[in-house]
Amino acid sequence: MAEVVVPIGPHHPALKEPVNFKVVADGETIVRLELDVSYNHRGIEKAAEQRDFVRVVPLLERVCGICSHSHTTVFVKGIEEAMKLQLPPRAQYIRTIVAELERMHSHFLWLGVAAHEIGFNTLFMWTWRDREAVQDMLEEMTGNRVNYGINEVGGVRRDLTTDQIQAALKRLPHLEDRIAKYVDMVNHEQTMMIRFRGVGKLSRVDALKLGAVGPTARASGVDYDIRKDDPYIAYADVPWKVVTDTHGDVYGRTLVRIGELQESLQIVRHCLENLPAGPIKVTSPRAAPKGEVLSRYEAPRGELVHFIRTNNTDKVERLDIRTPTLANWTSVAVSLVHQNLADIPVVVAAIDPCLSCTSRITIVNERGRKTGELTWDELSAHGRAFYRNGRRA
Amino acid sequence: MTLSQRLANWARMKSPWITLFNSGACNACDIEVIAVLTPRFDVERFGILAKGSPRHADILVVTGPVTRKQAPRLRRIWEQMPEPKYVIAMGACGASGGVFRGLYHVVDGVENVIPVDVFVAGCPPRPDEIINAVVACLGLLKEDLAHGGKAWRTKPKVIERVVPTEGTPVPPKPAEVPA
Amino acid sequence: MSELLKLEQVARAMEGIGTPEAVKANRIRVPTTPAKVKEAVRRALTDLACDHVVQIAAVDNGKAFELIYHLTGPHRTVVAIAIELPRDKPEVATASDLLPPAGIYERQIHDLLGIVFVGHPDLKRIILNEDWPANEFPMRKDWKPNPNTFYGGVRKEAT
Repeated sequence: MAEVVVPIGPHHPALKEPVNFKVVADGETIVRLELDVSYNHRGIEKAAEQRDFVRVVPLLERVCGICSHSHTTVFVKGIEEAMKLQLPPRAQYIRTIVAELERMHSHFLWLGVAAHEIGFNTLFMWTWRDREAVQDMLEEMTGNRVNYGINEVGGVRRDLTTDQIQAALKRLPHLEDRIAKYVDMVNHEQTMMIRFRGVGKLSRVDALKLGAVGPTARASGVDYDIRKDDPYIAYADVPWKVVTDTHGDVYGRTLVRIGELQESLQIVRHCLENLPAGPIKVTSPRAAPKGEVLSRYEAPRGELVHFIRTNNTDKVERLDIRTPTLANWTSVAVSLVHQNLADIPVVVAAIDPCLSCTSRITIVNERGRKTGELTWDELSAHGRAFYRNGRRA
Repeated sequence: MTLSQRLANWARMKSPWITLFNSGACNACDIEVIAVLTPRFDVERFGILAKGSPRHADILVVTGPVTRKQAPRLRRIWEQMPEPKYVIAMGACGASGGVFRGLYHVVDGVENVIPVDVFVAGCPPRPDEIINAVVACLGLLKEDLAHGGKAWRTKPKVIERVVPTEGTPVPPKPAEVPA
Repeated sequence: MSELLKLEQVARAMEGIGTPEAVKANRIRVPTTPAKVKEAVRRALTDLACDHVVQIAAVDNGKAFELIYHLTGPHRTVVAIAIELPRDKPEVATASDLLPPAGIYERQIHDLLGIVFVGHPDLKRIILNEDWPANEFPMRKDWKPNPNTFYGGVRKEAT
């Protein structure tokens, strides 16, 4: 393919939520990493105990705007399991379509953000433009670009019309071409190869020991994927495969995510073409019988777990959420030791955190006892300059 | 107004720079703000640039219901911005705390921390609405320049932080307006 | 992918620790005591080939605190080791030496429920803000925000 010119262009802020790091460094090499995640703790689990099953779904949707469908689906399927409800297949298929479209939009988003971290803003603009096609599909089907509100206990709230299905199917071939281009780019584009290969390496043993989940773990050869291990909604009916890689570094994670984009597209196409007829919901009882459910879901970032205790009322007694990003943090801290400061933005971005820094990062230089503070953008810029100068600080 | 002042005002209106502050949001608003910078909506054609540092920005865009941890930092960021500065509070969270109203770690809305000039409705607001809000902000900027500052439209008020009982939405106390 | 764990396999491995019950085809629950929980986790890691910790769920059921360690492995079965801790003295040995990610999970549980993990290298604040008063554990059932306490954020002031 033609040579891609890498512009060192206007600066765009990186996405995401605030997190604070304390980095202990020896010159350019990282010795230890500590993190502080309380910046967007809102107290959702407590509120979930006071809202009934209808009102708690919009709250859970906004735990995270990128994987909103993940949180609502894992919750309602847990409640449905407690209530022993059997959902009509059409509802399961619609949930699967929205779930995979969400995965696609999230992975496009990630590609753009990772490219932005290394200064490759052209790819950032391209992936986000392609992402708009996915957003259009979501908007036509669910009514909103983000926070779709399609789930309720007992089924889905909206049906898909034939026109919507046809319009969505028409958009897929173009997306397929674009994804193929990105595969090519990752394997041939110099900037990406230098910044991604060998960076943030996580061995298979470490990935398991440190509790990594999702594409971060699958890039290290761990083939855990909840959609295959504990199938839910329509995944058992659709032919698809788990994407793994053995590189274990940021390059491997990029390959896994692009592979998942391709798989998701196939799943969406299959579900749209084979959508079963029938109702889209069943009437659910108001209260859930006493019980304990562990509901697991493969969110775009990894395994999302809702532990639900019900007690014969219309509210949960306890909702305990374990997000995939929290599971991946320990692996970040470990895989960054002995790496360069310049690699922090890329490695952190590589776990696709549903949290990232607009807060200050404190750097403590062990040798010189110098303490400095950097913002995320300054650290990103430092990273780009470091690699441009041939790995010299 | 001197020529240099007129030039500065023209530059401010033709190319406002924004900085984004996430005060504990779910990220949906942040994604829509970043989508505004990307080719579909392309806000750069209006001269709007998103800058990381508050010291370079004209407009502060705040997302999120303001968690307790972020509240002092939000205040500090706002204080670092040079005048004339404007604040856009995004979404339902920015206005009143949104779905998170009354939760124990949340301060319920940007107005409890810094004065807000424009509220954008939505959860999250569409990128088109965000561009609309920035344009409305520019309209305010123009009017403020004509009046020589913001004093003509702001009223000092005491913000009372009411700690609600858990879960029940509490309506805010009405602001005191001096005679 | 290997076979799902059978109840007899788990019962054999958890000999002397607790009697497992199969809650679902792929979830087996083993109730035990706080004194034996570390041994149970060790046996799950070695004898039952669990290599991944899914979640450490913490519940306040009104009377006592419950901790449930969910582990899984290539057999795709979730082994749930459940213990109960008394309300007045919620202490249990840390699992962070056996399960490295538990370091973060236990800090979070400590912040929200006040359970003390004995032997944890660094049990400091992780999820609540730095101004949050000590000894207030928001996820406890009997916790209500006190209107006279300052929980962090900005105080009453004029803008």
